[in-house]
Amino acid sequence: MSIRMIRLAVAGFFVLVLLAVIWPGALLFRRAEPFVLGLPFSLFWPVFLIVLSWAVLLGLDAAENRARGRHDRSAEGEG
Amino acid sequence: MPSWATITLIMAAYLALTLAVGLRAGRGTSASVAGYVAGDRQFGLLVMYFVTGATVFSAFAFLGGPGWAYSRGAAAFYILSYGVLGIVPWYFLGPRAARLGRRFGFVTQAQLLVGRFPSRFLSALVAVLSILAFIPYITLQMRGAGIVIEAVTEGRIPLWAGAAVAYGIVLIYVLVSGVAAVGWTNTLQGIFMLGIAWILGLYLPWVLHGGIGPMFRDILAHRPELLELPGLTASGDPWNWGAYSSAILVSAVGLTMWPHLFMKAFTARDDRILRRTVVLFPTFQLFLLPVFLIGFAGVMVVDQLAQPDFILPHLVLSVDLPVIVVGLFCAGALSASMSTGDALLHATASVAVEDGIRPFRAMGEATQRSLIRILVVVAGGIAYVFALDEDQSLVVLLLSSYGIIAQLAPPIVAAMYWRRATTAGAVAGLLAGSAVTLFLFLNPALRPWEIHEGIVGLLVHLPVLVGVSLLTPPQDAGHTRLFTHPDLGEEPR
Repeated sequence: MSIRMIRLAVAGFFVLVLLAVIWPGALLFRRAEPFVLGLPFSLFWPVFLIVLSWAVLLGLDAAENRARGRHDRSAEGEG
Repeated sequence: MPSWATITLIMAAYLALTLAVGLRAGRGTSASVAGYVAGDRQFGLLVMYFVTGATVFSAFAFLGGPGWAYSRGAAAFYILSYGVLGIVPWYFLGPRAARLGRRFGFVTQAQLLVGRFPSRFLSALVAVLSILAFIPYITLQMRGAGIVIEAVTEGRIPLWAGAAVAYGIVLIYVLVSGVAAVGWTNTLQGIFMLGIAWILGLYLPWVLHGGIGPMFRDILAHRPELLELPGLTASGDPWNWGAYSSAILVSAVGLTMWPHLFMKAFTARDDRILRRTVVLFPTFQLFLLPVFLIGFAGVMVVDQLAQPDFILPHLVLSVDLPVIVVGLFCAGALSASMSTGDALLHATASVAVEDGIRPFRAMGEATQRSLIRILVVVAGGIAYVFALDEDQSLVVLLLSSYGIIAQLAPPIVAAMYWRRATTAGAVAGLLAGSAVTLFLFLNPALRPWEIHEGIVGLLVHLPVLVGVSLLTPPQDAGHTRLFTHPDLGEEPR
């Protein structure tokens, strides 16, 4: 997958995250029950999204570094 | 020795340590403006991480967060929801701003804007808006420090004196060492407050309720409205979805536009460090969880506290913790306040001089540095006066200033990504957006669905920016290219 596609996918992911924490998406996750790991669902949900976002950012960073490495190598080749 | 005296001693020792670190930090940097304002662009990952984190973990999070969870329940969860969304654009904006900074010697946000949109009026406008937003933000940090000291000394050191001592120390190290002091003290303070937050966040629910699960079950049985989004208002009525959602939006848009955070793009040693800071940022967001747990721990234990921002010190004092833990907690809370306050004071004065005064009056480097120092003291003084007679909640104070700061986002993004944007468009958009925001801030009843005034401001700002830009002649293509394609023609470093 090209770096452009990855960036688009990441942007799409964060748009979904935004929609899931504001009205009307957040209506789906507004309730206190079920409890997850001792937390009410309304609190577990944003915490879960932070962890998930972190994983996505780590993935993006890894992909960006790979792309940058390729770019640098090809620049050296030309020089 | 009575316990309050021991606690005061621990706090004093901690403050002395902070002062020592702050004073030592300035030794390595040059005596230039770039040294004082941008740390000679030499901040590494550890320091950048904590500098960024400190902007999240301020007195606002440490005292306001538990205060909101305690009094308004799920309303506080908006603070969890905006952080990551706000920082993600920085992964791209930050390194680009840094590249432009290295190339043109920018040390402030307005310099970047004016580099692309040459206008001294724009520079002064950004300076005025930034300072307008900064003063309430500094005020809340000072009140936070004062609240903690007053509470744990059982009123022996009143709010005014506590805030004065804590911020006297901040003034000393910011005056002597500039941004280098902010970086290194934030690192020390960051480690402290993160540790304290987790210890208290797990310990208080356990000792008061037998665990986190039982605590929430208890709240669900007696106060179920606290656990359901969007929570409550300050007076205890259900909050409005429009207000909750727009609080998330305006905070996400505004987060990286805060000049004290944005300017740190010019302090990082390289782009890699900026990107990694973004990737690690969610770890800081997770530290808000224990902060909320502390607030919820108070719900079934403490009846109707008149000032919810006092909930954390109140709980700490009421559960018979060992004196040393209380002392360390105070140090943690002071850290939260001071680590943001120092960055804010430094940024306010830098912006006032670099963007508000220098475009109109040429001055030497030495004069600039002394003027920044004088203004650090002036800004501190103004905020201090407000801190004494302000009875707004800490969160409300911050949320209001976000509306103004969010208006900086469209011109900044346009400067670096939109070639067709023009100076007239940027100025007109900023004027329109800020005017609407300020008007609705003063007349809150006119906001549709209680939507945050900053979001309404943006809804006016964007079409004005685009419309006026398209109606005015485009900028020279060679000029815009320098900003929208900063990679081309940059000499290797």
